[in-house]
Amino acid sequence: MAYLELQNVSKLFGAVAAVKDFNLAVEKGAFVSLLGPSGCGKTTTLRMIAGFEMPDAGALTLDGMDITSVPPNKRGTGMVFQAYALFPNMNVRDNVAFGLEVTGHPKQEIDERVREMLALVRLDDTAKRFPHQLSGGQQQRIALARALAIRPRVLLLDEPLSALDAVVRVALRGEIRRIQLELGITTVYVTHDQEEALSISDRVVVMNQGLIEQTGSPEEIYRQPQTRFVAAFIGTANQLNGVVVDRTQVRFGEILLRAPVPSGLNESSKAVVLVRPESIAIHAAAPTDAHNVLEGTIQTITFLGPITRVGVDVGGTRVVADMAASNRAAFTHTQHVWLSFPPDACQVMANQ
Amino acid sequence: MKQRPLVLQSLLVALFVAYMILPIIATYIFSIATKWDITLMPEGYTLEWYQTAFDHPYFSITLTNSFIVSIAAVLVGLLFIVPTTYWVHTRVPSAKPLLDLLMILPFGIPAVVLALALIRVYAFPPFARSPFLLISACVIFSMPFMYRPVSNSLMAIDVHTLTESALSLGANTLQILLRVIAPNILPGILSGSLLVFATVFAEFTLANLITGASFKTFPILLVEFTRRDGRIAAALSVISFTVAWLASIAILWGSGRGRKPTEEALGAR
Amino acid sequence: MMSFTRIPRKTWSNWLGVAPFLAFCLAFEIVPVLLLLSGSFSDKQGAFSLGNYAKISAPIYVRSFWNSIQISAITAILGAILGLLIGYAIFRLPSPRVREALIALSDVTTNFAGAPLAFAFIVILGSNGVVTLAFEKYFALKLYPAFSIYSYSGLVLAYLYFQLPLMILLIIPAFAGLRREWWESAHNLGANTFQYWRRIALPILTPSLIAGIVLLFANAFGAYATAWTLGGSNITLATIQIAFTITGEVLHDPGAGDALAVVSLLIMGVCIAIYQFANSRARRWAR
Repeated sequence: MAYLELQNVSKLFGAVAAVKDFNLAVEKGAFVSLLGPSGCGKTTTLRMIAGFEMPDAGALTLDGMDITSVPPNKRGTGMVFQAYALFPNMNVRDNVAFGLEVTGHPKQEIDERVREMLALVRLDDTAKRFPHQLSGGQQQRIALARALAIRPRVLLLDEPLSALDAVVRVALRGEIRRIQLELGITTVYVTHDQEEALSISDRVVVMNQGLIEQTGSPEEIYRQPQTRFVAAFIGTANQLNGVVVDRTQVRFGEILLRAPVPSGLNESSKAVVLVRPESIAIHAAAPTDAHNVLEGTIQTITFLGPITRVGVDVGGTRVVADMAASNRAAFTHTQHVWLSFPPDACQVMANQ
Repeated sequence: MKQRPLVLQSLLVALFVAYMILPIIATYIFSIATKWDITLMPEGYTLEWYQTAFDHPYFSITLTNSFIVSIAAVLVGLLFIVPTTYWVHTRVPSAKPLLDLLMILPFGIPAVVLALALIRVYAFPPFARSPFLLISACVIFSMPFMYRPVSNSLMAIDVHTLTESALSLGANTLQILLRVIAPNILPGILSGSLLVFATVFAEFTLANLITGASFKTFPILLVEFTRRDGRIAAALSVISFTVAWLASIAILWGSGRGRKPTEEALGAR
Repeated sequence: MMSFTRIPRKTWSNWLGVAPFLAFCLAFEIVPVLLLLSGSFSDKQGAFSLGNYAKISAPIYVRSFWNSIQISAITAILGAILGLLIGYAIFRLPSPRVREALIALSDVTTNFAGAPLAFAFIVILGSNGVVTLAFEKYFALKLYPAFSIYSYSGLVLAYLYFQLPLMILLIIPAFAGLRREWWESAHNLGANTFQYWRRIALPILTPSLIAGIVLLFANAFGAYATAWTLGGSNITLATIQIAFTITGEVLHDPGAGDALAVVSLLIMGVCIAIYQFANSRARRWAR
């Protein structure tokens, strides 16, 4: 049995199901992200783990114990909120000490733990300061220290970085991962930011409309999306609508694309071929030795720093392809170009 | 487990509502009761007290006087406080703390003290005990009620950005004032005006001490009748309450949801 | 606060636009009050003197201040406690429409001070008032003479009528400022409801509560019309004594009036200062 388990958990708000028949098993020490657009049920799931929402069906177990009806203040989950939620009337020391004080730990132990936690988040010298005297990033680190001070069995983070500036966000997400690995604490992390989820997690759970779309390692989620939703939500993917010809070919307009067709798809059923822009090469002249060649006109050329993204109109379908920024000079707007991509860069799925 | 707090909660709210409306309702009923002193409900109903009140020679005089003072206070507010507030917001932001301070002071000066101070200084004609002095006092006394809503609406719309975007679209100063600024702060001006009107209309202390018998206002007449004839006092109270209700409803209705007159004025304190 | 990016070019001529209003305030507020202050330290010939302050040490004046302070303190504290409880009850009402309606009611009633309010209380709680009669009839309880609406106890009831809604209006935004995450964090860290209220909610509400109490105190201390209508010269309050020195109903001594007024201003000033300080505290936390 896994350390933290959610079994067939459902939650209704009125007649609307926020979370439907949710199953998740988190191993001890793992870092799992719940990723999805707003309203997908990820925060509700986290709040059910914390005990702020009661599931309407299903059960939660933590370390072999059923916690479904345990009140939040007895669960031993440490939660970090999006908007810091530090107590404004207390200084940093008192904030971090709060959880230990209300549960009656001796003062000496509290002082020691506070020092330890402030060192862990690298804010040793802020103990006497008040939340309003700290920056957003510092406040969130104190919130993390406060949640960790009670030695929680699970650390829960609810979009902890979304209120912060881009630079602080990247730095702090590294900090969170470092601390998580250092303590080996089981962590559930909620975010709508795919880059954040992919960069920080051991496993990612992609959610949509209360359901799990896919669970897997960041690499799996990115390279082998199992549903169109995941493909569209994670990164950028070109979606070429076509019809299955045989086990290795899909007809896209007049062109036969070579791609591995999964066994679930029958011949002449509708399918969609997914190709990431970085897998597509751009040619100024028709390539002779390439598979899957598409012909079109350049619509847009967008400089993105290390790469340049080119939008090409292929018979009415827009296809985007990435190239090294250094090749940019070779192409101009409205130029006629050829695109090609290897069959193994394609993923074919049913087009419902 | 959730039952008990809910019962207690409803009980508290119900008692509060009863406390707030019982005196008002009783006054309305008293004003149309023939006789109501030994029975729990009136023995009969009549409009006689209103008739007597209307017929009283001072009724229309005091009502007119009160309207004069209230409307004058509103006009002075519109001509003086609104432009000053706008000017400070757009041209002299460094004067804003001073203006804020001036608008807090009236809350710290009891009406009797203001009346005393003014009477001491303006003891000579034509000011002494004049309606003019009363109006000035009422303006000072009520100016936070005009200032706060106007200032808040100016803050809320960010006059500067609006002015700059209007300028960039080619509007001139007059067009900006009439078509951009005014429509946005109009609700604030309206609610401020009504609040000033209602406050000054009900003002007894300043009127009684500054002009007194020489220029009687409606509340003065009311207080006189509370000592002479309670039933007529009731009729006058009802008129006074009704003016206050109407003004409040107009403010609530005019300024839309979420902007409450007293909350606005309190922001100044 | 707004930031003003455009730098005004002619600062001094811009100040001219404020001049008429400043002149008005000087003429009808600042200068008269300052003259009152200097007058209170002068004798009849205009020489410096503390005589006026010696006069107001007379028992009648000392008692009037003591009464004013007592009534203001009682109605402020009662109003604050009841307002806190009722305000919380209103704040937690499930229906936003009912909540809005009650806030609107408070808004209207807190401005119902003065003569009409005093009279309304005579109607219900006078010796033949409807509530007085109801108590007699249903509870066999004679309110008079132990209670009288024309006395200090009646004054407390009448003052509470405008104090209570004022407190409710002041405290509801403070409740709204208590963020749900604070409760959830505290609960998540192991605190129970009591610990949350004692260690987080009440300390956060304290500045607003203090601001409310001093504002209510000042509100009651400066009140005149309600007390005058109810009790007339039977009630001895600071404001009523000051008014007497204007209307000359008793021994007319302008000097004593000035001194009384200055002491009142001092008390009000302290209240407003505490209010401003407590409020800035509350706002800083509400960030």
